[in-house]
Amino acid sequence: MRLTDSQAVIRPRSPWEALDLGVHLARTHAGILFKSWALLTLPLLALLTLLLWDYPSLVFLLFWWLKPLFDRLPLHVLAQGLFGDTPSVRQALQAYLRLAKGQLIASLTWRRFSLQRSFLLPVQQLEGLSGTPRLTRVRLLTQHSSRTARALTLIGVHIELALYLGGLGLVYLFIPAQMVEQLDWFKLLDVEAHGLLWIEHLTNLIYALVLLIWEPVYVACGFTLYLNRRTILEGWDIELAFRRLRQRLLGTAYALVLASCAGLLSIQPVPALADEETAVCPLPPSESSGPDTPRLLNQPLTSEAARQQIKAELEKPPFRNEEKHLEWHFGHNSSQTSSSQDLTLPGGLLWFIRHTAQLLEVMLWTLLGLGLLWILWHYRAGLSHFIPRTRKARPVVHVMPEHLFGLDVTPESLPADLPAEVERLWPTHPREALGLLYRGLLSRLLHDFQLPLREAHTEGEILSLGEQRIPAETQRYLHEVTRHWQGIAYGHRLPSTEAMKALCASWRALFATKARA
Amino acid sequence: MTDSTSPVSTPPDPAAQRQRASQLAQALRQALSKALIGQSSIIDDVLTALIAGGHVLIEGAPGLGKTLLVRALARCFDGSFARIQFTPDLMPSDITGHAVYDLTTEQFKLRKGPAFTHLLLADEINRAPAKTQAALLEVMQERQITLEGRALPVPQPFMVLATQNPIEQEGTYPLPEAELDRFMFKLYIDYPSEEDERLLVRQVTRSTRSDMLDIIPLRPLLQAKDILAMQKIAAELTVDEQVLDYAVRLTRATRQGAGLALGAGPRASIALIRGARARALLRGGDFVLPDDIKQCALPVLRHRVRLSPELEIDGLSVDRLLRQLLDQVPAPRL
Repeated sequence: MRLTDSQAVIRPRSPWEALDLGVHLARTHAGILFKSWALLTLPLLALLTLLLWDYPSLVFLLFWWLKPLFDRLPLHVLAQGLFGDTPSVRQALQAYLRLAKGQLIASLTWRRFSLQRSFLLPVQQLEGLSGTPRLTRVRLLTQHSSRTARALTLIGVHIELALYLGGLGLVYLFIPAQMVEQLDWFKLLDVEAHGLLWIEHLTNLIYALVLLIWEPVYVACGFTLYLNRRTILEGWDIELAFRRLRQRLLGTAYALVLASCAGLLSIQPVPALADEETAVCPLPPSESSGPDTPRLLNQPLTSEAARQQIKAELEKPPFRNEEKHLEWHFGHNSSQTSSSQDLTLPGGLLWFIRHTAQLLEVMLWTLLGLGLLWILWHYRAGLSHFIPRTRKARPVVHVMPEHLFGLDVTPESLPADLPAEVERLWPTHPREALGLLYRGLLSRLLHDFQLPLREAHTEGEILSLGEQRIPAETQRYLHEVTRHWQGIAYGHRLPSTEAMKALCASWRALFATKARA
Repeated sequence: MTDSTSPVSTPPDPAAQRQRASQLAQALRQALSKALIGQSSIIDDVLTALIAGGHVLIEGAPGLGKTLLVRALARCFDGSFARIQFTPDLMPSDITGHAVYDLTTEQFKLRKGPAFTHLLLADEINRAPAKTQAALLEVMQERQITLEGRALPVPQPFMVLATQNPIEQEGTYPLPEAELDRFMFKLYIDYPSEEDERLLVRQVTRSTRSDMLDIIPLRPLLQAKDILAMQKIAAELTVDEQVLDYAVRLTRATRQGAGLALGAGPRASIALIRGARARALLRGGDFVLPDDIKQCALPVLRHRVRLSPELEIDGLSVDRLLRQLLDQVPAPRL
């Protein structure tokens, strides 16, 4: 690479201007870029399509995934082309076979999703760096241009999408109108079921064509962004200026030396020396004086030794600057504690800080957990909508209520001889007497016949509930008691004393026999 | 009470009066159930509303006999009957009436609308927009219509029976809340049972006419004053404090209960007690039981409450929620 051969004007640019330069660069080399790209990608797509005819989506995914691999070809073409050595399609493809191998796994796995892909590709491909040197280099390069590089990729995604949809639209426009009317759009959703796989392969082809247009431009933009960053970092423009200066002044310098020699030999001064300074000498051939020539390797100071010295020199300031940072660390391991030994804190204070921090951590986690629980509890009604309801068949256990209608209906709460108690109450408190009788009857229904009574049941409902569950005789009695009870409770009508006596007698007959049985 | 031995002239014996009224109601119910087969509970509810002096909104799918029921009721009752078919272009004055300029007398004459009647059938009330539906507001609540600045009373008894198709159907306008609240009952008319449907089909297909009313000859059983008397008797039936308390508790439960965005107002408690009195009369009872209240609860409450949106999304019906609510409110005792 010789900066003097550069086809582009090398000067520091803003990152966006650098992208603009990339577009220009791609346009300059458009022919070779598109041709080589098409020759590389389209046959591969065809091959993938043939191999995976039944899985068009997989073809698309694979093709998309291999993009970083394809990117190396335009970068090679552009790098060569920038310095006036544009390769032919054949040369480019031949060189590509060699380029494709380097750092293949990294490019296709963890670096695949990097948003700065095209910006950092030259580091790996042109500088041939890998491992830690690459990382250091990348760190240096991305200090300023990384935002633009990411934006470039995002813009690229959108351009690809727009072109892709545009391509689909174009295909759609070519369908005759009468066919569009008959088109069953829902059928298109399930292409595999209707043997319409070719449609998906067609869309894959559209995507490949979109890449043909955009991807070389993308690589070129990343490349020029990289060049710009290096121009700024390494002062290429200054170097170029010096070179130009050297080229301009070198001839004059030789002439000066010769003239002064001549001047020394012939003491007579030449009056007009400056008139002869028009001659410009060619640059000395640079190839013959390389550091690897045998002539230089046999010197007492060999190039190898010089290299070692240079390396050693580079390890020292000002090329390598070491800085000391003072940071706070928890003493997790001995190496870190030893490095932070210069913090001279009393042991008790350290212990206190450490334990307070642990306590705080525990408290914060507890708070987080409690917060989550509170959210779940607070929005339980809303969340329950998301949980599918499975009606569990709960075992029907009828728990007998002890209190019904605000009354105690346990057998223990009732008097042992209920009819006697009713008759005793009747003359003074008829309502209470009948109420006691009704209550006693409910208690019987509840405990003897397991009638599932609830507080909300009205008298009429209790009657109809009893119809299936209790014997006819008891049913009649229940009807009778209910009728009288309703009369006194809601109609304020007293039953006759005879009716009351009959009710008590029936109770005795009904439940005394039951007890005996 | 249709004959000459009207209780007005003889010294009134409340028990006998009640018995007569109850018998009359039973006769009416039997006549109606002949015309409308398999919908006995709907007939009971409509008669309850008639005796309680309330209005009824009947909802159901087309072809279930909503209109037939009302026409049968009108035929059993020797009073005036008007029917308005609600359409999207019906105007309020088409219901209440308006002033017309008479060319011969050169004066404005009031032309009373079809609402001046005893029984008003508002057929498919939700087919008309809210403007027209609102024309019924005054007459339903105050039993009068204001025309040209004059309040004209409608004949007594006055009852509106509105039918509507379910709101989900096309081309319908939901009734406004104020209008809904004026209806005492909202009844759902459901498909008849298999047995009843068989009977119905047999009866209708035996005749060349397609109208049930032409097949079942109905004769007028009662007159306007009989209904007024029944209403009066029902209003005098005893309601125990406990029963009244139960009705109020039921209504209040709809305001506190979860799952309801809007609870029922005091009109619901009033409608419950009036409905329960009418039901007691229909049953032949002398006083109101908690059962009467409970039976009225669904038709009284279902159009006065609104489900909360979550439950509505869940697809829970108002009736189901109200039944749950009824199961939670303790019945009166002692």
